[in-house]
Amino acid sequence: MNSVFVLIIGFIVAFVGYRVYAKYIDTKVMTSDPKKATPATMYMDGVEFMPTSKNILFGYQFKSIAGAGPIIGPIIAIQWGWLPALIWILLGTFFIGWVQDYSSAMVAMRKDGASFGGLSHKLISPRARIILLAFIYFYLLLIAGAFGNVVVSTAIGLKASPMAWLFMTIGGILAGQMIYRWRKDIILTTVVTVVIAMLGIWLGTIAPSDKIIGTDLANSRPFWAIMAFVFCYFAAVLPIWRFALPINYVASYIVFLGLLFGIIGIFVLHPDFTLPAFTSFSIRIGPIWPIMFVTIACGAISGWHSIVSSSGTARQLENELDARPVGGGVMFVEMMLAIFALIIAGTIFASPTDYGAAVAKGPGGVFAAGVSKFLGALGMPADLGKAYGSVMMIILAITIMQLVIRFMRIATSELLSDVSQVFRNPHIGTIIASALGLVLVLTGWWQYLWVLFGGANQLMASLALMLVTAYLMSEGKPSAWTFYPMIFMFVTTVAALLFTSYSLLQKVFTGAVTGEALVGNTLMGAVGFFLVIAALILGVEGLKAFNRYRNLRMQAKPTAA
Amino acid sequence: MSEEEKAGFFQAVKEFVYGVAAHDSARFALKTRASMEHLFILITMGDMLGVPILPPYYSLRLLPYVVPQISTWKRRMLREKDLTDALA
Repeated sequence: MNSVFVLIIGFIVAFVGYRVYAKYIDTKVMTSDPKKATPATMYMDGVEFMPTSKNILFGYQFKSIAGAGPIIGPIIAIQWGWLPALIWILLGTFFIGWVQDYSSAMVAMRKDGASFGGLSHKLISPRARIILLAFIYFYLLLIAGAFGNVVVSTAIGLKASPMAWLFMTIGGILAGQMIYRWRKDIILTTVVTVVIAMLGIWLGTIAPSDKIIGTDLANSRPFWAIMAFVFCYFAAVLPIWRFALPINYVASYIVFLGLLFGIIGIFVLHPDFTLPAFTSFSIRIGPIWPIMFVTIACGAISGWHSIVSSSGTARQLENELDARPVGGGVMFVEMMLAIFALIIAGTIFASPTDYGAAVAKGPGGVFAAGVSKFLGALGMPADLGKAYGSVMMIILAITIMQLVIRFMRIATSELLSDVSQVFRNPHIGTIIASALGLVLVLTGWWQYLWVLFGGANQLMASLALMLVTAYLMSEGKPSAWTFYPMIFMFVTTVAALLFTSYSLLQKVFTGAVTGEALVGNTLMGAVGFFLVIAALILGVEGLKAFNRYRNLRMQAKPTAA
Repeated sequence: MSEEEKAGFFQAVKEFVYGVAAHDSARFALKTRASMEHLFILITMGDMLGVPILPPYYSLRLLPYVVPQISTWKRRMLREKDLTDALA
């Protein structure tokens, strides 16, 4: 099948989903009212609660949710064939993905801008709140591990990427200095720092890492893993304006331009899919259900989005009608990003053997080869295109990773400061988070790590849908449109986590793994089981809440005369 | 496309690029400034929340300058917060 045809199908699904289904839910079920005051207008504090234009929020939401997830998931999931992956991306987004992003924003908005912890306390139970927050900590750990692995495999597989990464860091630090210290013009700052980052990409092609630091170090996983976590350490302990945010600022231009021209390149080349539409129901990492459904996480549905929608976007929407374009609309754009990644993986290799060899080295190589091909259609030399693709992959992974380590530092302080004052120290919290992430990166097989991350991510999504369902029941509104997606996601993700954890721990108990793999399997398996137990407790609490709301509604009905 | 529509379109693109690239930075800068301000008000006006730190004489002298911030400050100080607030 031709890739342009797949893109057109994607556009049609996005159009129908947004203009028909989302509009129906927004107007008839949630009954959005432009006259109703939103938390942003009611509680405006000029900081968190601030009415903001929907165009700005569209960009903010897109930037916050579009990380490495929608790209890596389809690249791995194409091992089952591109057709099941495409169907899940389209149907997942249409029936579940946008529903979760939009409804999380709406519920938070209707509940005075409350965050997830507060919402679960109010709508489900006090215990649900504590478990949810503990769940989030391990979820963040899996993000750090999975994305750290992507950074390491890309830095090793594509030797031009470390130089580009270094220059992007220099450009980012300079951007922070120019904006906040030297008070330079933003356009000048942007041009200077983006040019520095671009220069790094070009330098990477003429000075690859193995020529500078030697082959041994350039191929060393521990070395690049430590580099990644040192980077995250600075992002976590330095003031956010000095390191993390300006690097994200410069990086966003690199990613945005790459994606824009990459998609134009697809239209220019319009290649056919070369990989099979369907391979097998079961592959090395597991069966199509439930594993494929969690492998493609962010491109179909992702719990991360609900956190951004509720704690970030919902407090800035100036009008209830903006929730559909910002919450729902951005998810459909993310779906197109996942289709873009699927087209890359499905069209650039001559045979499944070539794909298998490339993906064994990590998803970064596959993505970079695709970006190189499609940017090549617009005249960019292949080696430069590959370096550009590799730094895009590193940016997409490490910009999320650095924020995750920063949040884990805060979480460590929040959760453990009562145990000992030492956990209040930001360096201690960061070192704990980095050490746990480092162990996962160095000892875990990346495909299992990705599946666990996807499972935790989508379990988070089903918990978000549980909160939304509880809200709808408490308000007496129709709740089937969130209840059934919640059940599907809950069963699928619990099954995926159980399957993966069992596979990992079985190897530990039968002595099939030793050394590093023993540590990695044990840690990943234990985290997976912990997430399942936490989710089951939350599920029981959720069911009790649903029954409570149902009974309340029954009691509220007037008796027949 | 009329001039007005064209201007609207370019404004939307400009806002989108700002949202992607800089809105987050602006929010964090504002959060940092607000934290400083809140700390200052907590020290000077803490007794409004039942945390008396500064003798009331000085608080009363500063009160006229702080009045515009008080309602927002109280709301932010007393609002329930959790880990997910730091995430977005």
